[in-house]
Amino acid sequence: MNIVDKLSSKEDMISPGISACIGCNVELTLRTCMKVLGPNTILAVPPGCMGGVGVVGWDMMTGANCPVFFPLLDNPASMLAGIKLYYERIGRKVNVVAFAGDGATVDAGFQCLSGAAERGDKIIYICYDNEGYMNTGYQRSSATSKYSWTSTTPVSIEGRGGKKEHKKDFPMIMAMHDIAYMATCSPAFIQDMVRKVEKAMEKQEEGLAYIHVFNPCLTGWGIKSEESIEVSRLSVETNFFPLYEVIDGQFKINKEYRNPKPVKDYLSKIKKYSHLNKEEIKEIQEIVDEKWDRLKKLASL
Amino acid sequence: MQEFDVINGNKAAAIAAALVNPDIIAAYPITPQTPVVEYLTQFAADGILKSTMSEVESELSAMSVLTGASLAGARTFTATSSQGLSLMYEPYFRASTLRLPIVMAIVNREMISPQTVWGGPQDSISVRDAGWLQIYVEDNQEILDMIIQAFKIAENEDVLLPINICYDGFYLSHMTEKVFIPEQEKVAKFIGKYEPEHIILDPERPMAVDPLTNGDLLMEYRYKHLLSQQKALKVIDDVDKEFEYLFGRSYGGLIEEYRMNDAETAILVMGSMTGAAKEAVDIKRKEGIKIGLIKIRALRPFPKERIIKSLDKVKAFGVVDRNVSFGWNTGVVYQEIKSALYESGKAVPSIPFIGGLGGEDLTVNMMMESVDRINSIKKNHSTVWLTESNGGEA
Repeated sequence: MNIVDKLSSKEDMISPGISACIGCNVELTLRTCMKVLGPNTILAVPPGCMGGVGVVGWDMMTGANCPVFFPLLDNPASMLAGIKLYYERIGRKVNVVAFAGDGATVDAGFQCLSGAAERGDKIIYICYDNEGYMNTGYQRSSATSKYSWTSTTPVSIEGRGGKKEHKKDFPMIMAMHDIAYMATCSPAFIQDMVRKVEKAMEKQEEGLAYIHVFNPCLTGWGIKSEESIEVSRLSVETNFFPLYEVIDGQFKINKEYRNPKPVKDYLSKIKKYSHLNKEEIKEIQEIVDEKWDRLKKLASL
Repeated sequence: MQEFDVINGNKAAAIAAALVNPDIIAAYPITPQTPVVEYLTQFAADGILKSTMSEVESELSAMSVLTGASLAGARTFTATSSQGLSLMYEPYFRASTLRLPIVMAIVNREMISPQTVWGGPQDSISVRDAGWLQIYVEDNQEILDMIIQAFKIAENEDVLLPINICYDGFYLSHMTEKVFIPEQEKVAKFIGKYEPEHIILDPERPMAVDPLTNGDLLMEYRYKHLLSQQKALKVIDDVDKEFEYLFGRSYGGLIEEYRMNDAETAILVMGSMTGAAKEAVDIKRKEGIKIGLIKIRALRPFPKERIIKSLDKVKAFGVVDRNVSFGWNTGVVYQEIKSALYESGKAVPSIPFIGGLGGEDLTVNMMMESVDRINSIKKNHSTVWLTESNGGEA
């Protein structure tokens, strides 16, 4: 079955009418992942965009078609671990899933996620990385990329500034926990995403399965709504955010381009980088190239 | 005759948990609670404890794992102390507002700074308004018995609130006493099964837990939460009676009254200091002083009615606090007692004592000194600090 028919045959687990921004690719990601995961799922949506737009429920009007709840910003993995331990104890197979932003994942919730990964808690953890605290107006997180303008890493009148540090390489950090499954995804590559969520479901009985989705934020970053998917695709085609997976310690690159596009093509579509000069763009290109080389080496092991 | 052992308070707590066999236990070690976690993991390794154990990376996760497990329908248990309790404050508050009957022993330890690891209930007392039930106990037998009772109190359908059983670090946690150990079958029968209907995360019964909620509905939640705390007053007394019927031991429920029948004055205490205070009362009684004692067992819910009734005939009273209330220049329990008495309209003279902080001893001598002061006051007195030199007034 082709991917369009496959997805259209599945139940949409998220109610219509949630108030995500026009063109939001996180909503697309959530609906896609949840179609694959299906109704035998307990869904945790911590504070963040998807909680804010009403996925857990707002005024009896919106919600999900499966058990859904708000964990705290700093404890999604631990709450899910407790839920899963009980279902394991009573012998019932249930997908226990987090759909969490980068703030809840790489910043405040990192300790409990790392703990769950080390203990091998059998949960599926999906992070939607939009590089900051978008639901509250785009404050920086440790997932924010270098030189990004955010409301807490401003640009001066002279046009200099933005975030001083590059983003934490979180997929790599999770992979180095030797978890059952680690994968990166993009909303521009739905077929790849569907396969990876299916793989996570398969591997969840062995330990923690982690999926890191890179979701360029239209409203926060300054991207035209109609370019939501195009910019997402450029992040992969420039190697800014490579698609790869790690199964039982084996790295595998899923999208490789003979002639990757220059990172400038990606940066130039996004307003938060509009103050960058040539040297700064060159520096980001070098960071991207270095990280790509390291990934290639890991994939060759 | 019941089986008994000579054990420390931490072992009594762990044995109580093993008798109950909760579905999920998640715990992180911290002085002076650490041996509880060691005993539990050993019991699990030996097959005595059938619970699923999660050896978490922090107290924040200990309470978070239990919150998740409880939402899935599990019976849960943990223990912590002091800084660990502070670290779990976020899920701690939420466990009560989600109405999850989690049972947690708190091995009371002073709060830093200055750096300290010794006893004092400042930790749990400082979170008394986070919606949990809190019961403070005097000895190791009471630790074991109350952890068993805690499940029955918390899971009562009129209550459905989490509960702390609080006991003094080192004084009880590391001191050994003779403790009777009830039969497991009788314990299982006593506490029954936990089958939650009010809140559940189960794909067969889909429910949105904690959607964004408007203030009007939140007010209703709080109203019902307060009401459940009040309903717990009766439940705690009832469970004490039921426990006595089955196991032969009673603690008086919300409060324990000692020689209060004909008392003209009273000393009010909480926790392990009760032993020294009872001895002081006995000595002073022999001297002809008609002093009685009230041991506060439940701090939340606060046993207002029973305290009003018990203090109805006294001419003066004093409260010994092993904690402080910043901003009041007294201990916390003293303020709570005064609030209760305001409703009775009988404002008899009273005196607040503070002592035993950071693991300092509260001796029989200090208690006798306190009794003498209580008997000499004609009007409200300022705080007296109990020190080795029987010293200084604040």
